[in-house]
Amino acid sequence: MSPMTKTDSAILEVENYKVGFRTERGLAKAVNGVSFSLEKGKTIAIVGESGSGKTVLNRGLMGLLTDSNTIEEGSAKFMGEEIAGLSRQRFWGTNIAMIFQDPMSSLNPVMKVGKQVAEPLVLHQGLTKKESKKEVINLFKLVGIPDPEKRFSEYPHQLSGGMRQRVMISIALAIKPDLLIADEPTTALDVTVQKYILDLLQELQDERKMSVILITHDLGVARGRADEILVMYGGKVMEHAPSEKIFTEMSHPYTEALTAAIPRLKDPKHTRLIPIPGSPPDLVHPPVGCKFAPRCVYAQENCINEEPAVTVKGRHSYSCFYPVGTEKNKDAYQKNAAQGHTAAGLKISRRRVLK
Amino acid sequence: MVTFGSMSFLGDPLFNILGPIAGDTESPESLKIIEAAKAEYHLDKSVPEQWGRWAWDFVRGDFGVQFSTTGQPPVSDLIKERLPRTLELMFIAQLFALGLAIPWAVTSAARANSRIDKGLTMTSFAAISLPSFATAVLLYYVFSVKLDWLPDTYNAIDPFWGFSHDHRLIQLILPALTLGIGAAAQYARLLRTDMITTLREDFILMAKSKGVPRKRVLYIHALRSSLFSLITLLAINVGFMIGGSIVVESFFRIPGIGLAIIEAVLRDDFPVVLAIVMLVSCGFMVLNYLADILYSVLDPRIRNTEQGQQKKVTIL
Amino acid sequence: MSVNKDEILRNEVNESSEVAEAGAEAAKKTLGFGFWLCAVWLFVISMFALLAPVLPLKDPGENFVQYEEQENPLTKKLEEQPTIPPYSPSSEHWFGTDQDARDIFSRTIYGARISLAVGGLTTLFGLLIGGSLGMLAGFLKGWIDKLVSGLFLLSLSFPGLVLTILIITILDRSLLTISLTFGILSIAPIGRLARAQTLTFSEREFVTAATTLGAKRSRILLRELFPNVLIPMITLAMVVVAISIVGEGTLAFLGLSVQGSSTWGKLILLGADISTLQTSPWVSFIPMSFLFLTVAAFNFMSDRLQDVFDTRSIYVTHD
Repeated sequence: MSPMTKTDSAILEVENYKVGFRTERGLAKAVNGVSFSLEKGKTIAIVGESGSGKTVLNRGLMGLLTDSNTIEEGSAKFMGEEIAGLSRQRFWGTNIAMIFQDPMSSLNPVMKVGKQVAEPLVLHQGLTKKESKKEVINLFKLVGIPDPEKRFSEYPHQLSGGMRQRVMISIALAIKPDLLIADEPTTALDVTVQKYILDLLQELQDERKMSVILITHDLGVARGRADEILVMYGGKVMEHAPSEKIFTEMSHPYTEALTAAIPRLKDPKHTRLIPIPGSPPDLVHPPVGCKFAPRCVYAQENCINEEPAVTVKGRHSYSCFYPVGTEKNKDAYQKNAAQGHTAAGLKISRRRVLK
Repeated sequence: MVTFGSMSFLGDPLFNILGPIAGDTESPESLKIIEAAKAEYHLDKSVPEQWGRWAWDFVRGDFGVQFSTTGQPPVSDLIKERLPRTLELMFIAQLFALGLAIPWAVTSAARANSRIDKGLTMTSFAAISLPSFATAVLLYYVFSVKLDWLPDTYNAIDPFWGFSHDHRLIQLILPALTLGIGAAAQYARLLRTDMITTLREDFILMAKSKGVPRKRVLYIHALRSSLFSLITLLAINVGFMIGGSIVVESFFRIPGIGLAIIEAVLRDDFPVVLAIVMLVSCGFMVLNYLADILYSVLDPRIRNTEQGQQKKVTIL
Repeated sequence: MSVNKDEILRNEVNESSEVAEAGAEAAKKTLGFGFWLCAVWLFVISMFALLAPVLPLKDPGENFVQYEEQENPLTKKLEEQPTIPPYSPSSEHWFGTDQDARDIFSRTIYGARISLAVGGLTTLFGLLIGGSLGMLAGFLKGWIDKLVSGLFLLSLSFPGLVLTILIITILDRSLLTISLTFGILSIAPIGRLARAQTLTFSEREFVTAATTLGAKRSRILLRELFPNVLIPMITLAMVVVAISIVGEGTLAFLGLSVQGSSTWGKLILLGADISTLQTSPWVSFIPMSFLFLTVAAFNFMSDRLQDVFDTRSIYVTHD
């Protein structure tokens, strides 16, 4: 399945991994057969809208979804060891660390931030209270928190958003993990702070030879920072390629739609962003064919009825009948444009026809 | 003020205070008592002045004299003697309540909707529906009558600390448990709800992913940030426990303030009833006020104080 | 532009289907078997209490002394001797008798009359006064609202039981005084709920619509607001019934309830001395079970109603 050649240096190998939630309406297939592998010291970016299953995938892999209504299937090997469906508690705070999206809600509001950073040091590295405080202050300096001694005994609500995220990163660093999962680490931050935090993460990653899973809805964030990009939609992998290939040889209409929805600095000032019409699919009753078909401007009859197989081209893979940049794709678009709507009934606007 | 007002409006206050003696204006002895009473309660003054003087006396700690039997000590002495016993009882009861409620709620919330949770929720429901006097009889039956583990007699002159039946610590177990179980059920219900909300928060996931052991996640991370409304309820409940302690003290014969008010009612000793009602009401109001402040002071996030007030609606 | 329009349209369709789903899920929440079981229990006990004088019950005051043939130690002859009550449950006395050989079942039923009457009267009074005050305050707003809310807060700042004891000391210990006292105490919680609900609903579209259509204020209050305030008030009213039954029981247990009556609290106390508990615990436990089941039934029904109508967020209650 995976286009990546497996090597011994892989820290994480995921094969046909699935996560489902039992709900009152039926089983919601949040992650539906995802495969990838991550090498030591490398970064993989998982990109998708909210509801695409990217967060569930990572929380599932980490073993944080312990609710009795959660079902985990498939295989996931962490450092060569099968972990899917098993308790992963022994990796928590030792081999794997996480950074969450919203640093305000991810830090304990009634515990001093210093203590929160010190916790893994005391619990897993056997440091005394005094040693851990010293170490925390070092970490605070490392991530660029000014006045670290004072900050040590402050509460999260006393810090700014950027400072809180730095605290989160110092928690992750305190753990000295082999794998860092960063779930939208910069979404809640200002654009200027965003860049700083991402650069800081990258610097620390190079220094410490960590592997990173970067989860984001923003292809722009992933570009240049990830070695590979995995585009997810409706719990499935739509496209998977080395970072630059995604941009140069973009094949999946969903990837294209995602890039069209991102503002770019070099765009002229009044460039209209094209939103992706519709919303993520119902996970309990997903579309029969391609999951993206109902929202895809190229959708044809067979997209609705059949699920496209994975096309593998070296290190690049995608699942689409009408990949972007091919003749088939152009024909499909013209057909839809001519009739004014896609096979799934999505209207095509004139502005897009004139593209 | 309200209570005193009603007293002076409802017929001759002298009669309420002195009983039949008030009507006896013939014998010089009764006249003397009447004069004394008038002076004590400022009945020879105008009504507004009566109110003012009584309130002033009350504030200074002078609650008047018990009138039903001549030669009784002043009401303030009675209260000074009895209040500590009630406070002692309530303190132990609160300890029981918290000791039961916290593990109860944490266990329940950690496995929300499991069988354990449902069982515990049912139990708390039952405990809330069982009035304190029924709990008293039930506990007395099980632990004292049938099992004969715990004493049912309270002796105010026994020493407090010790583990035999001749120590107040042991004598207070049944009464305090009676008061504590009802409170524990309330606390557990509130804390369970708050804990379930907290456990869904990201920082719990964060704590887990940091490798914090489960027990520590529950008792340090989740519990601490769920405690605020409980602390508020606790403060308010001290006031409500005074009501409960009337029942418990009268059943287990503990000469505290609750038994004092019952005895006073039964012998129509109005000054005592009035003084205790005023004292309890003031304490109750102060505690309510403190609870409000406490809520905003304790929580570093400074949550909405309205929330704390809304947690409890009750008439008794 | 049309893409955007479509998007909006689609989102709307999505949202409305979500709303429909949520509605369907809410409808799936039923009151459940327990609710109806409680309702049946309350109906039966109320009917028994109401019809007690007509029903073929034993006289609650009569002493049904039982006799047994025993050897008279003096005459050495077999004689009919009275045995010492309380007697254990038998076909004659389903729940046994008390120390004075009185039938416990019939005493419990007669005791229910006053307990339930206090509960009913209190709630009726609280609903009428508290409900209308609260609705008026929430509807008229302004200084009336401030005054009424202030009075509610004042009333809530007294401990209920202690205040009741004071009032019955000043007045008397009649059924009416006790119910009225409890009723006054229940005005504030009921009123606050009614006020909050009225405030919330008076800002909803359908009320605004009615106002703009020129409906009379009284009509809006009765036709538009009242039905929406009613359900949460009923759920609270059930708790008020439960609390007043407990309150009356407490007074009776303390010997301060309606003079000369034997309500549940008193019956429990009468069987709660050490010798009776040792030999015949049912004397106390039978009325206790009736009291518990009745209070629990009211609490449970209120709980279910709150769940189904999702009014839990409005208040969290319990004595």
